[in-house]
Amino acid sequence: MDIIESKTWIEWVITIAKFAFCFVPVLYILLLIPMERRGAGFMQDRQGPNRSYIKIPYFGKIRLFGYVQNMCDGTKLFFKEQFAPSGVNKILFRVAPAIPFAIVFLSPCVIPWFGPMVFEWGGQTVRIAGSIVDSDVGVLLLFGFSSLSAFGAVLAGWASKSKYSFLGALRTSAMTISYEVCLGLSLMGLLLLVGSFNLTDIVYWQEHHVWGIVAQPVAFFCFLIASIAETGRAPFDVAEGEPELVAGYHTEYGAMQFGLFYMGEYSHICINSFLIATLFLGGYSVPFVTTETMQAHMGGSLAVLCGILAFLGLAFLHMIYRYSRKLKATTLSNRFEILREYSLYKIVAWVAVAVFVILGVAAWFFYNPANFVVNGVAVGSLATAIGTALIHLLVLVVKSVFFCWVWIWVRWTLPRFRYDHVMHLGWKIILNIALINLVVTAVIAKLVGGN
Amino acid sequence: MRVIRQRPMNWVERLYIFECLRGLFTTIKHAARGLFRYETLPTISYPEGQPEIRNTYRAKHRLMLRPDGTPRCVACGMCAAACPAHCIFIEATQSDDPRIEKRVMRFDIDHLTCVFCGLCVEACPVDALRMDTKKISFMHRNREDFVAHLDDLVEWDPKDYPDDEQSQVAPGGTKNAEARKVWGMEVK
Repeated sequence: MDIIESKTWIEWVITIAKFAFCFVPVLYILLLIPMERRGAGFMQDRQGPNRSYIKIPYFGKIRLFGYVQNMCDGTKLFFKEQFAPSGVNKILFRVAPAIPFAIVFLSPCVIPWFGPMVFEWGGQTVRIAGSIVDSDVGVLLLFGFSSLSAFGAVLAGWASKSKYSFLGALRTSAMTISYEVCLGLSLMGLLLLVGSFNLTDIVYWQEHHVWGIVAQPVAFFCFLIASIAETGRAPFDVAEGEPELVAGYHTEYGAMQFGLFYMGEYSHICINSFLIATLFLGGYSVPFVTTETMQAHMGGSLAVLCGILAFLGLAFLHMIYRYSRKLKATTLSNRFEILREYSLYKIVAWVAVAVFVILGVAAWFFYNPANFVVNGVAVGSLATAIGTALIHLLVLVVKSVFFCWVWIWVRWTLPRFRYDHVMHLGWKIILNIALINLVVTAVIAKLVGGN
Repeated sequence: MRVIRQRPMNWVERLYIFECLRGLFTTIKHAARGLFRYETLPTISYPEGQPEIRNTYRAKHRLMLRPDGTPRCVACGMCAAACPAHCIFIEATQSDDPRIEKRVMRFDIDHLTCVFCGLCVEACPVDALRMDTKKISFMHRNREDFVAHLDDLVEWDPKDYPDDEQSQVAPGGTKNAEARKVWGMEVK
């Protein structure tokens, strides 16, 4: 009871509320699937799925720029019959798809979503870590979790009693394990500079020195390639190479069991993007601004944030107005229906822009909370801490969305590697580059830093 | 035999990473086009938007009309003979006009069998049959409705063919009056 009583109730509330971050990768699936499908369409000069709609009585059809398609696909997968071929290992066949998806809820625990919240509450200074588990072995824990997802592929391939699944599982396991090595080794240079496995410390170091991508550009490239390979996406998706192996380890799966593999893959992408953003792109830290500066000018920071959001709203409005004008000039028979839908978006976007502008102006003029420094850390009120956390979270989300886009971008650009080329790249090239990078970093760090 | 020898890759290309970046630049250009210039994408959202069809496109048939509104067809049977799919069925009968020997009584084109080769149009000696209606979608409830009969084939509007002089000769066209004068003077 000692631990519980030593904390104030607000600490408990925030600590428990942080568990909501476990669901971030699942939410990212909702973002990634439309991004992938429309993005792939655009890259191939197609339109992508845009036909499904929800019919609103007395209004018309709502297409949400093709977003409805994903709801339809999800619903279809969810209500389909779950089918297992004869001869499969029943238990393992059922368990296997759940493994990659279950890990999704574990991995976000160690990622710092915002800087440590430090604020004054009830006469004492409260400090709450930005991650759900502020572990000193954060990076290792994350690697451990993400390599567990190979179990799903291996079990699925073995339990399916299908030669395609089996070969796919063999390939996946071999590739995941070899690229785990590269993943870990390429990171070592950065860990050497930071001197900690704790992800919060890594972000703190980047915030006060330089971003990891500047300090370790070679490691960044190795890490990016290895993590793309580890998620088993193109150009490294030899495990699912359809000319050879039908669909790899999930050949025999359908309905939501396939859906779980699918969602697991996307969540894995999400986790890896968060990891790259945290390790090499300064995580939650705002570029060129330290957290202390931000907290000292909280009202201004919030105003800038609202300004950016308002600008994005205006950019969206510009695109909508522009396309409405073009659409009006066409002879599409449903153009007035679409324009009616767009008028709804225009109203929503204008309201959002107005709200952001009002909030920004209000924050700029009327929100200037007092801060004081305790042991070199700015301590403000709860509101300042939450505002900081919000900005941090948004910055991290923007960085990770960019890397999610990189995943999709690479997938629809590069052709698939042959299996032996993948192994050659992993063991003979990236591993060696990572090792050389580690040695050079160690020597330079010893000469310059002297520690 | 012509052997195409590939140029050996130079060392920059063999590094692969720079070629990857070039490819990535290409795809991001296309993605930006889709995002910011959506209307320039070549896709036509079909049932709502119709593709632009040239009048030389071989679409559904029509029978050209004389100034008095009778089909120009003289029921010679050349089109039926030329048809590789045997989808044209013609029955002739005595013409009311003393200058013309036969007129067509039944003219059926089975669009389920038709291969839209256009040989019937080429074969017609009096330029009675054309395929420039630009109607490309055939939608009916049962198989019998896919057979176009004579009344269906002559049912077209000269206003849809403003640039074609031969079509303007038909009733309702801009040149019908004078053509009728020429045509009618010789009859009576």
